[in-house]
Amino acid sequence: MPLTPQTFLILAVLAPGCLFLGMGLLWLVGVNPPEKAIARTANATYGFVCLMLCGLVWSMRSAGLTSVSAGTGNWYAVHEFQIPLTLLADRLSVPLMGLTALLSGLVAVFSRRYLHRERGFFRFFLLLHLFAFGSLLVFAAGSVDLLIGGWEIICVSSALLVAFFHERPEPVKSAIRVYATYRGCDIGIMAGAFFLHHWAGSTLYRSVFPGEWPGQSSVMTGGGATLIGLFLLLGAMGKSAQAPFSGWLPRAMEGPTPSSAIFYGAISVHAGAYLMLRAQPLLAASSFASGVVIFIGACSAIHGTMVARASSDVKTSLAYSSISQLGLIFMEIGAGFSWLPLIHITGHAVVRTLQFLKAPSALHEFHGLHAAAGGHLPKTGAHYETALPAGLRSWLYRLALDRGHHDTILDHVVSGPLRKLAQRMTSLENRWRLSPKAPSNEGSHV
Amino acid sequence: MVEHAAHLLPSQGPIGVFIHHNTLHAFQHLPFEDAVVAASGVYGAEPFMSEAAYREGLAKGRIREEDLRAVVEREANEAILPGALDRRTLRSTLLISGQRDFDAATIDWALEESRLLEPDGHGLFAACLELVEMKAVPAQPPARPRDGLLHLAGIDLDEVIHPLLIRLTGVYLDQGIAYWPMPNRQSGFLDSVRALLAPGWALYPRYLERLGDEFRAQLEQNLDAEEVALKALDRLGVPEEDWERVLTAELLALPGWAGIVRELEKNPGLAPHVRVPCSLMEFLAVRLTLELVAAVGVLEERGMGALGLHEWRKTPVSTPSRPAERRAKAARLWDALRRLGLSERDLTAWNPVLRRRLASEIQKFDALERRRLFHLAYELRHEQDVLQPLALHRRNKMPGGRGRRPFADVFFCIDEREESLRRHLEEVAPDVKTHGTAGFFGVAMEYTGIDDAHGAALCPVVVKPQHSVRERPSSHHSQLHRRRVSRRRAWARMARQTFLSSRTLLRGWASTTALWPLALFPLVTRVLAPGRYGRLEKALHKRLIPQPSTELAFTRSEAEAHIASNGLLQGFTLEEMIDRVAGTLGNAGLRDGFARLVAILGHGSTSLNNPHESAHDCGACGGGRGGPNGRVFAAMANRRDVRRGLRARSVEIPGDTWFVGGYHDTCNAGIALFDLEFVPESHRSELSRLRVALDAARALDAQERVRRFEAASAYGGPGRALRHVQDRAERLSEPRPEYGHATNAVCIVGRRELTRGLFLDRRAFLVSYDAAQDAGDSALARLLGAVVPVCAGISLEYYFSFVDNERYGCGTKLPHNVTGLIGVMNGHASDLRTGLPWQMVEVHEPVRILFAVESTPERVMKVMSANPELAEFLGNRWIRLATIDPDSGEVWIRRGAEFERLSPALDTLPSAASSADWFRGRIEHLPIARISSESAR
Repeated sequence: MPLTPQTFLILAVLAPGCLFLGMGLLWLVGVNPPEKAIARTANATYGFVCLMLCGLVWSMRSAGLTSVSAGTGNWYAVHEFQIPLTLLADRLSVPLMGLTALLSGLVAVFSRRYLHRERGFFRFFLLLHLFAFGSLLVFAAGSVDLLIGGWEIICVSSALLVAFFHERPEPVKSAIRVYATYRGCDIGIMAGAFFLHHWAGSTLYRSVFPGEWPGQSSVMTGGGATLIGLFLLLGAMGKSAQAPFSGWLPRAMEGPTPSSAIFYGAISVHAGAYLMLRAQPLLAASSFASGVVIFIGACSAIHGTMVARASSDVKTSLAYSSISQLGLIFMEIGAGFSWLPLIHITGHAVVRTLQFLKAPSALHEFHGLHAAAGGHLPKTGAHYETALPAGLRSWLYRLALDRGHHDTILDHVVSGPLRKLAQRMTSLENRWRLSPKAPSNEGSHV
Repeated sequence: MVEHAAHLLPSQGPIGVFIHHNTLHAFQHLPFEDAVVAASGVYGAEPFMSEAAYREGLAKGRIREEDLRAVVEREANEAILPGALDRRTLRSTLLISGQRDFDAATIDWALEESRLLEPDGHGLFAACLELVEMKAVPAQPPARPRDGLLHLAGIDLDEVIHPLLIRLTGVYLDQGIAYWPMPNRQSGFLDSVRALLAPGWALYPRYLERLGDEFRAQLEQNLDAEEVALKALDRLGVPEEDWERVLTAELLALPGWAGIVRELEKNPGLAPHVRVPCSLMEFLAVRLTLELVAAVGVLEERGMGALGLHEWRKTPVSTPSRPAERRAKAARLWDALRRLGLSERDLTAWNPVLRRRLASEIQKFDALERRRLFHLAYELRHEQDVLQPLALHRRNKMPGGRGRRPFADVFFCIDEREESLRRHLEEVAPDVKTHGTAGFFGVAMEYTGIDDAHGAALCPVVVKPQHSVRERPSSHHSQLHRRRVSRRRAWARMARQTFLSSRTLLRGWASTTALWPLALFPLVTRVLAPGRYGRLEKALHKRLIPQPSTELAFTRSEAEAHIASNGLLQGFTLEEMIDRVAGTLGNAGLRDGFARLVAILGHGSTSLNNPHESAHDCGACGGGRGGPNGRVFAAMANRRDVRRGLRARSVEIPGDTWFVGGYHDTCNAGIALFDLEFVPESHRSELSRLRVALDAARALDAQERVRRFEAASAYGGPGRALRHVQDRAERLSEPRPEYGHATNAVCIVGRRELTRGLFLDRRAFLVSYDAAQDAGDSALARLLGAVVPVCAGISLEYYFSFVDNERYGCGTKLPHNVTGLIGVMNGHASDLRTGLPWQMVEVHEPVRILFAVESTPERVMKVMSANPELAEFLGNRWIRLATIDPDSGEVWIRRGAEFERLSPALDTLPSAASSADWFRGRIEHLPIARISSESAR
């Protein structure tokens, strides 16, 4: 195989996918490999991915390229409509792929000991590889269509890892909540892809956003750009837990700590921000869409920081702190920065992963710190106590404690009406089924 | 009434100081076997291991058939079929052959699809169907409104109110995780919740829309917690005779949170940082208010508003299908009859009265009853496996006099984890004598180290320390100490700022965009090379933070000098010091013949990724680290005036004996000795010999610990094992830094000669005691009074956390989330999990602890019955007891109210040249063996 950038790129993306397929086959035939083998293949794979990415950067540099795309044909083509399988490595995707490979590898090493002797050890690694493949695909995809593929893989692996302890009811409920939010918001990204196909004839970044990142232009302008930008924003908001869709993030903490770290501290939550960075040319073409992105980011930032301040458990407080930084990242993107949000994403992912991995040691650390400080840690929250009147403070605190009432609002606006609709349809169906002419041997639906 | 309901709640305080206790303390007034069954009714938890687990033990030889027969023999017999079958035969036959159970849900499948009765069981089965007695279960109203409404409206009220209630309780009790503390906390839970939720201009969660109105109404009528609770009960239609039942069920819906509120109410000092007024009544008032509002909300939304709230009581409790249940019971009967070798023809030969008696006898011998007997047999085998070798070892090796003067005496805690270290120390240095005494060494104190912010009690929980001891820098190092304090403060400020700023908005922006490379290095190294990172951190710490030499302020000249701030006595007077030293040495039966060097080693444990870290510390120090106790004890015993005083109490410490205090970390295997600069020049050679021996022993001990860890290579040498356990303590990813007290099973109170040279597999607490020196049994009374509650608490907590890890324990550690610095939840909103995590107990063997006391039954019973707490432990069989006669070596085992002589059944013990030869490469529990270098020859 020639050592071209294309080869490196394809191998880097496919490696975890192949590992997942291989392990999945073993799973299907009922083989349960020893922990050591699982851990070793994981380490080898992520080491290999890192190596391939180094090769990619090296070969791109030596060839003087700033972007490389690797096509592997069409997944699907009817006349001029086609979904090409094209990977793209440029200055945006390569750093994020590197981050994914590095953090997935670290989490794999970490989990080997953390999950030692756990019944779901194999399952955890299987899902971790699926996730790594999904996120590499999201970052390396050369078109929105392919990105959706990775996007859905993240969604599925994420929900399955939240429900890792599926013998208890709460993790399963939380997983359904995560899945529902993801899928609900996916409507946006699907619609965005649809309109891109419809108006621009393609979802290939090369075609719709000509030029090199950063500073690409957009073939879409005006109302089209606004609409597509907003649809993609909806998709990104779900993945990045932006207000008002933040409620799933603390619930996702039901899984084992390392999966919380990689998904909700590091990679998965930043996928939305990445999508916005990709779609930045659209935002540049539409000041309205940019404004909305900034607005959503600002709301999320304030919401996140407020809720984090009122959270009394380590993982929820980390989750909402992440949301506030993601809000800032969205604002930076909306304001037209490119490098800044990329650095911010990288830094945030690294800092947060470490914090999540340290979460179970919080007690140990706090006591050490408390003693070193001589028994008096500086009081927190003093600004707001002095600056605000008591009534307003109490009101704000309550807003923070109830997580901005977002769950209640979503309940009233989305799930409530949906439930009512479903109930009405059930009763309609029942009436139809119970009428004498209808066939009565259908399965019972409740 | 609330008080009465509350005693069923788990009594576990904030997790930072973990104290082992009997999980079923509330049931301790009942005999053990009855208590576990009663508790399983209340908590829905398992009383014993599963039958399958015991059967597996039977298959592997962990239980023998003779044990099953023996436990059946011990219970009352009765003829069932005169001349043909009695109860004992029936029970042992069914236990050994493996009586099967069938349940109503799967019986038809078993009958029809898996052809249970083929080829010739149909007739017998039909006869069984006739014989089955179905007891009518009296209909009970649901335990609480939630159960009734779940049935009535299909909505789980707990799911409606728990997220809010958990969050409110969490922020109320928070000790420093939240950046904004909850407002108005000092006014109590109910008031602060009302102040928060009563004002308008906010949304309420679904079904709780009226919560604001309700709280406002309460405020207008100025109701206190009790009135609120009573009103809510009244409106929910709970009649007074049912209050207790409903309140109990309500509290047990979130036992962890209710339990911590109660613990902090009883003892506000348990709160590690912030004291908030806690009241279980207020918790209940908030809970009932939420429940009331939610119940109304649910009924209204379902269009059942007209029904009235009391309707929940009328909902029927669903019963399983009676015919299927009858078939299931008949199948069990059928299975039993076949195992007893009774055919249909045999059955019809007996008259109907006898037939019914047989059937009811079999039905009474249900799964619970079988598990009870299995458990007794499981414990019986364990008892034999411990006592037979002990008795044999005692016979073989008559403990002689004191013999030659050892070069060092080393005192350890009685902790079963020190057993292996003691054994290895004696193996590498045969002229060392080791002793076991409760790890606070009789020095109950509130201790403040130079690095501590405030004092911590280092003594058993039942003791309130009266004396305070402070560590202070030596006078020539006070400058260094000031620098240490200021550097540590600076470090704390910086670390705290980084921690906070990464979580806030703007400062977080700066730290995540600009400072993140600083996080990359620890992230990568702590995951890939934790041991190296730990060593680097320690080296840096040593470099940057000055280490002043310190001394202890532990003496007091005036009789009464209380410290103003905490009302404690500053240090000890001469008389008090003599009391403590004489007490500890006297209890252990040591009055003379001390070596030139005596080391006193306290212990504790340090680990990461472990909210339950404190559970690995010293139980005798109340979940603290016992190094300072050893250090204070040594300093006391080195004083001339103390030794003079001791002589008057006939404890003769030779003039050339020197005491050294020390600390053993049971996780990273470190051993530190204190105040070595004061050791006289003449003792240097002994000291360095001891140091060498301790270093060799701790590596061997690490090797023995490592045999239980799959992650460590079983064949690595001691050096590698030591490195492995050091790494383990530094790993962010390690859920099992050490196995703690897991596998504890025995407590041996007696001379070391009884156990020296025996491999006890880190399963035995070893308490030094010499009955010959204790004519009045006063030392025994003191020892047992301190040791029994501590060891029984540890043993029972492990028992329950093992047999039902989800309900009595806190489940797997992996999804644990530290909340409020007081405990752990699963995920973001669960009950506070109490008990021990699976990773701590997974290798445990659930047996009640067996005390083997070197004394006579009469003497032990005199002591036990004089102490009501011990009498309860023993009388209700929460502990097992045996005695070893100090003169003849005869072993007596307590059975019921009697003692039974152990008849020797062993001729030889397995033996090995060294402990390592015995355990190397084996991961399972190992039998007791004789370790003797002679056996190699």
